[in-house]
Amino acid sequence: METTKWLPRHVACVMDGNGRWAVQRALPRTAGHEAAESAVIDVIEAARSAGVEWLSLYAFSTENWRRPVGEVEVLMRLVRRAIRKHAPMLHARGVRCRFLGMSDPRIPPPLVRDITDLVTLTSGNRRMTLTVAFDHGGRRDIVEAARSLIRSAVPADQVTEAGFARHLPYPDTPDVDLVIRTSGEQRISNFMLWQVAYAEWVFPEVLWPDFRATHFWECLDAYRRRQRRFGDVRRPTTIVREGLG
Amino acid sequence: MSQTTAAEAVDVFGPDSVLRRLVNEARWGLAVTRATVLEAAHPQIGAALMENSTFVTHPWRRLRNTLVSTQRMLDPDPRVRDREAARLNRLHARISGTDPRGRGYDATDAEARAWVVATLFESTVTMCRLSGESLDGPTMERLYGECRTFLALLEGDADRLPATLTEFWAYYDDMIEHRLENTEAVRVILFRLFANVPAPPVLRGQPVVWAAGRAMAGPVAAAVTIASLPESFCRRVGLPDLPGAGVLMHGAYLAAGAAARLLPEGWFQAGSVLSLLDPAHGGGAAPWEAVRRQAGRAAALLRLITPAPDRHDDHDDHDEHDDDATRSADRFFAEVLDQTGNGHLDWPDLAAMAREIATRLDLGEHDEERLYTAYAAWWRELQSALDGDGDGRVTRQEYAASAAALPSSGLIKIADVLFDVTDTDDDEEIDAIEYQNLFRTAFHRDLADSGAGYSRSAFVRQFVSFMSGRQHSTAYHMLLSQA
Repeated sequence: METTKWLPRHVACVMDGNGRWAVQRALPRTAGHEAAESAVIDVIEAARSAGVEWLSLYAFSTENWRRPVGEVEVLMRLVRRAIRKHAPMLHARGVRCRFLGMSDPRIPPPLVRDITDLVTLTSGNRRMTLTVAFDHGGRRDIVEAARSLIRSAVPADQVTEAGFARHLPYPDTPDVDLVIRTSGEQRISNFMLWQVAYAEWVFPEVLWPDFRATHFWECLDAYRRRQRRFGDVRRPTTIVREGLG
Repeated sequence: MSQTTAAEAVDVFGPDSVLRRLVNEARWGLAVTRATVLEAAHPQIGAALMENSTFVTHPWRRLRNTLVSTQRMLDPDPRVRDREAARLNRLHARISGTDPRGRGYDATDAEARAWVVATLFESTVTMCRLSGESLDGPTMERLYGECRTFLALLEGDADRLPATLTEFWAYYDDMIEHRLENTEAVRVILFRLFANVPAPPVLRGQPVVWAAGRAMAGPVAAAVTIASLPESFCRRVGLPDLPGAGVLMHGAYLAAGAAARLLPEGWFQAGSVLSLLDPAHGGGAAPWEAVRRQAGRAAALLRLITPAPDRHDDHDDHDEHDDDATRSADRFFAEVLDQTGNGHLDWPDLAAMAREIATRLDLGEHDEERLYTAYAAWWRELQSALDGDGDGRVTRQEYAASAAALPSSGLIKIADVLFDVTDTDDDEEIDAIEYQNLFRTAFHRDLADSGAGYSRSAFVRQFVSFMSGRQHSTAYHMLLSQA
């Protein structure tokens, strides 16, 4: 199984470029979000069939609440529609779905209910774990983890990286190996800050609504060609994992 | 000293007690249901059930309490048995009154209590018979002896039950022929309870699944129960004889018997049933946990594939959410205050709340008395402030109109007692474990973000806000409305 040996265990996507995609076509920004749905489904299927065990998608950040109210409303509705449309397929494909974040009371209750249902429905699946970062902020997760750690009254000198990570949401999530940020933008944008510490980043120019399985495979290929050292100059290649996975 | 210890350690039912073995099987639920109908047909018990019991509104809680209480009464440790017997006696001593026809009833009545034990014995024998494994003569004798011991633990003696099994059957037939009546409680159990039984805690989150299942299972359960009752009783009370009900009943009992014999041990133990009835028993080890998870997934899938989403729906749902949060007075009244489900608030409702809390926390006599006294004080306050026509009860409208404006000193008393009995280590703070004992739920949610315990003032404030319908609290709602 030479292919899986070089395969990232955990891939994360920052789905950037929906607005620009729409503007280029003289369409409202929301049309870009609408077009993003097929890219999401394509990538989930590509990752699953390639054997990726963990896939994380950055769907909505805590900062995205600053967008125009109308756009946020449309986005919420689109997410709800996509969940209801694809839930049976995701379940049938053995995908376990999780949502990271989700603490803002502005998230419409029907959407919260559908998300809860999707999580419940797929909780027993193990083929691939799909984490959707929704109303997510990497710093907030770290602050929450710190609060939880303080509450658990661990003495300061006993706090370790691994121990700290156990207080993060979904502590069983392994470190991210590869982050794909579309549209050529090269920023972290407060995304899974703790988990991406040792990740490789690729920045394809393609806008997210145009991103397809072939682009995903290209990114996997780019990852394969890189040498991961985790800061150790003596270690020549990638696959050795460390940290919390 | 050692002699006393030896005497205390005596297991009056014996290590291989027949009653204990059968009570620990889940199919005993069939026997309890059948026995409850026969009990309810006793005029005194029927009246007490209608006036005081929460079995219509909270049947699962009632079933759970019955199972736990019976297991405690059969415990090998005499201290557990005696404590439970004393608790039951105190509980029964608080239940008395007159039925609508002016006849008195009293839950400590020796004849009525003997009949309760008699129905449990006879229903257990019948359960075995219908399950295809009749008890042989000596085993039945032994079971009867144990049932008499059970009664003696409660009453001090078993004189109200005939001394021998032969005499028992004559007594039983005579009771069926001459003493039992077509009481309202019988009709309520058979024709209302089965059709409207609320979801057990395990399925509370899946109302759709529960409603669909109940539409099928409700009539079946009623038919099975009726078909298992003595023919002469059905004739006297005029119960319907539905075509096929006999076959259905035999099928149900045989299946229960086969399940008890063939399925893995643990699946059909009473403990597994308790895990379904009590959210506190939510551990992954319970054999029914897989069933619980599958039901949850089926319900989630059903909701997801049912057409619903539209922009207008979003707004409607939002309104619903607001309603939930503020909790309409009507719903609050029905789910929390009206424990007996008779449509108005009276002393039995408040007594039922006190009883549930006392049972939940397994309070001793002193604390139990304090709790009842506090509830009685609140009841007097409610009566003087709200019961305008002096008929001894407060209607839904009367409560909704002025509950929030009440002085609430009675409620503060209850909250104070509740705090004291929950704060078992007397550190003036309710910590996570104490909180869980009271509410059987996780610590978060109602404890805000402080992460620390609950202070007395915060506890009292929240309890008073909840009970006067001003503020919703998931934990209190669970505690007092759990079906």
